[in-house]
Amino acid sequence: MKKHHITALIVSVVALLMAVTAGKAFLEHRRPEAIVRGPGVTGIRKLSSWFPTLAGSPGDTDVYIFQGEESGGSMLIIGGTHPNEPSSFLSAVLLIENAVVNAGTLYVIPRANSSGFTHNDPQEGAPMGYSLTLSDGSSRYFRYGSRATNPVHQWPDPDVYIHATSGQTLSGNETRNLNRGYPGRPDGTLTERVCYGITELIRTEKVDISIDLHEASPEYPVINAIVAHERAMTVASYVVLGLEMYDINIGLEPSPKNLRGLTHRELGDATDTLAVLMETANPSQGRLRSRTGEALVLTGKDPYYVKAQALGRLYVPFDETGHPIEQRVGRHLTAIGEFAFALSMEYPDKPLEIDGIPGYDELLESGVGAFLLPVQ
Amino acid sequence: MMTIVYLAIAAGILALTVWNLWTEKDWRKQASAAMVAIPLLLRVFLVK
Repeated sequence: MKKHHITALIVSVVALLMAVTAGKAFLEHRRPEAIVRGPGVTGIRKLSSWFPTLAGSPGDTDVYIFQGEESGGSMLIIGGTHPNEPSSFLSAVLLIENAVVNAGTLYVIPRANSSGFTHNDPQEGAPMGYSLTLSDGSSRYFRYGSRATNPVHQWPDPDVYIHATSGQTLSGNETRNLNRGYPGRPDGTLTERVCYGITELIRTEKVDISIDLHEASPEYPVINAIVAHERAMTVASYVVLGLEMYDINIGLEPSPKNLRGLTHRELGDATDTLAVLMETANPSQGRLRSRTGEALVLTGKDPYYVKAQALGRLYVPFDETGHPIEQRVGRHLTAIGEFAFALSMEYPDKPLEIDGIPGYDELLESGVGAFLLPVQ
Repeated sequence: MMTIVYLAIAAGILALTVWNLWTEKDWRKQASAAMVAIPLLLRVFLVK
């Protein structure tokens, strides 16, 4: 054997070992974390039961159903549209594990883009996941995913993404962004088919109000805000006032008519649902952040953002206390409770009564882990 | 269909990279080829 063949063999073996090690970690990321079925869950269906083409695909996902004893209005919570926005996913998980519906029907999708949870974004330094400590001292691990569908499941990206319904053009990688694909297409990309499945769920079940949960970086103008379709503005206005009772300041933005593909625009236009989207402040996805890791995801504390605040560069208050996960989840959950109340007030024939939602002050005091159930 | 075409392209580049790794005489360039091969390998096997 020649000398350069020996070195080729050595570097090949080393490369293969590195590929196997990395590959194992990447494959591990595809395994979904457990979500414990709470006392109020009356059924779990796959999204493919509303759009069968999704069955067996990486886009199929669980839909948790809470059917109240009394009939009434209905609400859909869309969590995990962007799997790198953990308060969205965790708010849905806390609902599943704690909420009980007395009147009406609640649908909760914790991983709307289930493919996006199977990877994370290269070159972002994002953690693979984060752990929360439960009240019994045990811990639960959750994956930190990507903003977009896994390219292994949908590849290649076009140079320019053209939104099917409107012809709006965006950069090519937005083709894997669930919140740019609504109302979706039955014969479109995987992302568009997931959008279509969610739209079909809303149409079939005649969902009265749909709430899409998100997080935004502190330098993004739409933050700590509700974005509402024009038909949802009245109900959303009640929620803004209701949140004042908890000392939660939240903005209310009208859904722009010329920004297409997003839930608050397309679900409102394509169906009869009242479509809203909510944002909390997550520094771990911002461009000005310091070291990215599990601590930043959970505590929301970042000295660089404190400096940016002092320079007037942010759209949300930011001091040394940061924006911890319990505050972000608390904002979402409190607003969801207020939306149920506002829907019942505005449409008395469609009451929606939800009990068991962890309170804002309780979350700030005890943390998110205190409301998670242990996995058996 | 496009996915299959792109996978075929990735597999072809991977084959050429491995060929280059085994014919190259400078170990530093061999190491570079090995590093290039890792992401190609992961994509061809639909891991990443």
